[in-house]
Amino acid sequence: MFSTFVKSFSSGQNVVMQQTRNTFILKRRFPPTLHKKGGKPPKMKARHFIYDLVEETNVQRKPDMKIILNQFVDGVGKAGDVLTLRPNVAYKEYLMPGLAVYGSPENLAKNEKQEYDTIDEDKKFSSPYVQRTMRGLSHLVLQITMNKLVPWTLEPWHVRVSFRKAGFVVPEHAIEMPPITIRGPDLSLQNKEFYVTVTINKTEKVNVRCRIHHWATGLDRLPSVDFHWKKPMEALIPEQAAVLEEMSLPV
Amino acid sequence: MASSRIQATLRQLSKTYKKKSRFDIGIASELPAAYKKFWREWKVLKPAAVHFVPQEGKWKRDELTGETLPVQNIPLPLKHPAELHEGIWGGEAVIKGFQKRDQLRRRVAHYWVPVLKRTVVRSEVLNTHLSVTVTERTIQLINDHYGFDHYLLKTPACDLVSMLALKLKKQILTELMNGCPRYANNPIKQKEIYEEYKTYLTSYTPEEIEWYGLSWYEALCKVAKQKEAANKPIPLKNVYRKNLLEKLKEAGIEGSHSSAEEMSNATSWLSKMNPFGKKDEA
Repeated sequence: MFSTFVKSFSSGQNVVMQQTRNTFILKRRFPPTLHKKGGKPPKMKARHFIYDLVEETNVQRKPDMKIILNQFVDGVGKAGDVLTLRPNVAYKEYLMPGLAVYGSPENLAKNEKQEYDTIDEDKKFSSPYVQRTMRGLSHLVLQITMNKLVPWTLEPWHVRVSFRKAGFVVPEHAIEMPPITIRGPDLSLQNKEFYVTVTINKTEKVNVRCRIHHWATGLDRLPSVDFHWKKPMEALIPEQAAVLEEMSLPV
Repeated sequence: MASSRIQATLRQLSKTYKKKSRFDIGIASELPAAYKKFWREWKVLKPAAVHFVPQEGKWKRDELTGETLPVQNIPLPLKHPAELHEGIWGGEAVIKGFQKRDQLRRRVAHYWVPVLKRTVVRSEVLNTHLSVTVTERTIQLINDHYGFDHYLLKTPACDLVSMLALKLKKQILTELMNGCPRYANNPIKQKEIYEEYKTYLTSYTPEEIEWYGLSWYEALCKVAKQKEAANKPIPLKNVYRKNLLEKLKEAGIEGSHSSAEEMSNATSWLSKMNPFGKKDEA
């Protein structure tokens, strides 16, 4: 099956009607006769204008391109980083907006010598992806699911597990718990919120909004609320109210 | 015997006779060498093979007979529509020809038209972004040359083909010749750009840059304009007046009121009249 496909593809003439988004490379089906040295080419007849499309290298995937960032780009890298990208992406998203320069041999040599330490923006963040992570965390409403029937005290590992369920792997030492100890089950906590502080790369600090949900099965189960993460809630700790007020809720 | 003599004469004549080229007729004979150089680069030089794969080498051997045959690459004739000059197609053009889709079927006419798209290119020397119609090949070439300016400056006119590309090239060369005045507010950058591109200036003289990228008609207009400016006609009345005054001077007849200089400088009574003034003023 596959071999027949390859055969029909490579024979060329059966797939003449294929559209190709590239430079047409053609071939005369009937090449003209030879002419004298230094003389005029022979008179062309209609058959000399019958062309066949050559299955050519242009259809092939173009090789990746090297570019050098000349400034800090959020989520990509810092100035001086050499990226290897698809030519279209590199051209449209980096070279034309002026975020990068071509990775020509001269530019690469210059890049090795140059030092970008003086640029402040690089120092601000511990990694190019920090801003993205911070944005993700600051918009998060973390549901901490706790038991409705068995007594508990909120501990960092509860928060860690909740983070993992929300798609963030946060080590316990990076989580700063709220100043009070929270004990349960306590249904008055259900409609309250507080924040924990997460430290990324031991440098950047982000506040993450947390809400406790009491979990049970059967008749004890709490009724479900639609879009509960969009609704504003009361602060559990009065000192945190001002900060929580400023943090935006997901739309 | 007479016929052979005629033949000999003809042969002799054909050696000395030179067919008139377009640079020998009319005002075109006054075109400078700078323009001829550009014309040669644009129209006479063979462009790179874009739409066919040229055969390598000078000779090849016939596999069946062992006969040695010369390699003669006859390029496919290309059509250059007017739209080509409004974009930068990177040497691509329209091909008119036939497709023979089946052995037992009549050939059908077909035009192979390049896929065009509008995109942005950035010129470092001109310090601008431009929106131009290009082909995928153009972008590829720009990337291979590490920049739009490098691509334009390195590629000969016969491969650029389009008028837009040639005009841009001329503008870039002029800009370089003047030392990148667009970067006047940033001398460090200005120097950097100039250092990067100055090697291209060595292959052109200022006159050649002036005559670069002109179409045939534009070049002729330019020559005509220069010619007109060079020999501007002097009104005969001025000449005659001057002659008369000189004659009078020679004859020793002094102007009773004014000297020759004053006469020639004196304004005409006509200019004193103001037809648009008030009645009592006139």
